[in-house]
Amino acid sequence: MPGDLLLIPFGAGLLVTMVMALAGAGLFLRGSVWQALALGQWAAAGGVLASVLHWPVLPVALLLGGAVMALLQRSRDRERLPLAVFLAGLAAITLLAANFSRASLAAAAWAEGQLYFAGPAELWAAAGFGLISLLLASRLLRVWRHAQLAPDVAATPGPSVRIRLTEVAWLVAAIVLGSMVLGLPAALATLLLPAWGAAHLARSLRGHLLWSQGLAVAGFLIAWGISLPLDQPFAPVLVLVAIALAGLARLSTRYRPG
Amino acid sequence: MPAILDARSVCLGFDRPVLGPLSLAIPQGTRWALTGPNGSGKSLLLKAVTGQARVHRGQLALAPRTRTSLLAQDHARPRLWPLSGADWLHAMGARPPQHQGIQRLLRQRLDQMSGGQWQLLRLAAALSSADTDPPEQRLILLDEPANHLDAAVRADAIELIAALPPGATLLMTSHDDEFLQALQLERHALAEYLDAG
Repeated sequence: MPGDLLLIPFGAGLLVTMVMALAGAGLFLRGSVWQALALGQWAAAGGVLASVLHWPVLPVALLLGGAVMALLQRSRDRERLPLAVFLAGLAAITLLAANFSRASLAAAAWAEGQLYFAGPAELWAAAGFGLISLLLASRLLRVWRHAQLAPDVAATPGPSVRIRLTEVAWLVAAIVLGSMVLGLPAALATLLLPAWGAAHLARSLRGHLLWSQGLAVAGFLIAWGISLPLDQPFAPVLVLVAIALAGLARLSTRYRPG
Repeated sequence: MPAILDARSVCLGFDRPVLGPLSLAIPQGTRWALTGPNGSGKSLLLKAVTGQARVHRGQLALAPRTRTSLLAQDHARPRLWPLSGADWLHAMGARPPQHQGIQRLLRQRLDQMSGGQWQLLRLAAALSSADTDPPEQRLILLDEPANHLDAAVRADAIELIAALPPGATLLMTSHDDEFLQALQLERHALAEYLDAG
């Protein structure tokens, strides 16, 4: 069990992990994993820029993340454009870090993750967003289910434009919040790897969501249990644990009967 | 019978028109097989009805409250797709049919089905989509439904299509003469509906 001082970071990290696992399952089902990379990178760029300008981090990160998502949604290219946008974000952070000392510190914080220093503000943000995610879950699922159909067409009406925009805004907010709390590499690992591992294990959409949660939470707990006693930064440990768990999930299907 | 689909001098395509002008009216409750050689525009017409292709000129109108479902000619499956047959029917707004062949697929993952099973499931979903609505409001578009059907599921597919409730309108394309014959559909060559001149 974490000590009292670490209860808040532990709670914030766990809640964010669960939200990110849900977002990751959605991105996997939509086939939009490259978009997540680009979006996360620009959320981090927004955070670094905010530190240079002495502006609050969250609105700037959300604004840049939202702008990137709007750009990516307008294009049918699901690989090259997101990759180019991701690289542009990486370049922007590197340039900012090279020219401003504050940016250099902020970039390091986004890369390593600041989970151990998460305070009540992060915990409340994670709890509030978790609650919003619960309330939106059925609508998010509807969008992701409908995204599977094309080129077939259902006779029932698809999700409204309002619901689709809500889903996009929710994804942006989830990735920005996750990157802020866990650090960019850990957030992306939580977003992408549990959903990929779960896709090997699940027998249905519901199973995919549950396995994604299970793998993400297990990864968080294991990484927490390893990084604290060994005095290691949390984010890289989480990345390695998430890779190992996803790899195990992949391997397990080879030895599954039937 | 009033027309459920009424096309008047329509020119269809994607970025530019490639078919038309074309005029046809499909009466409500009929079962049509649209015939014609490859590339004649049969699939394009079905896509235009569902809004996946553009109407560049003319008028393409559906009767009020029409609910349209489409089985596209092909649906490539992702290599890793953690959805079950039941998930697919749910996504299509279809209740699982009582048909035994479909019941067997409900718990199976989509990426682990054979090509024939996948086609059969998609067909069942397109036929049952919004099937709680009055049949008269339903327009079912099937683009080459006999594609990928192996001998094991071919009879199931014919059975499912033949079981459509009276009043529902069916418009399908197929190159498979035996399949069309088994369903006893009215055959209409698309070329006959191209406007003269």
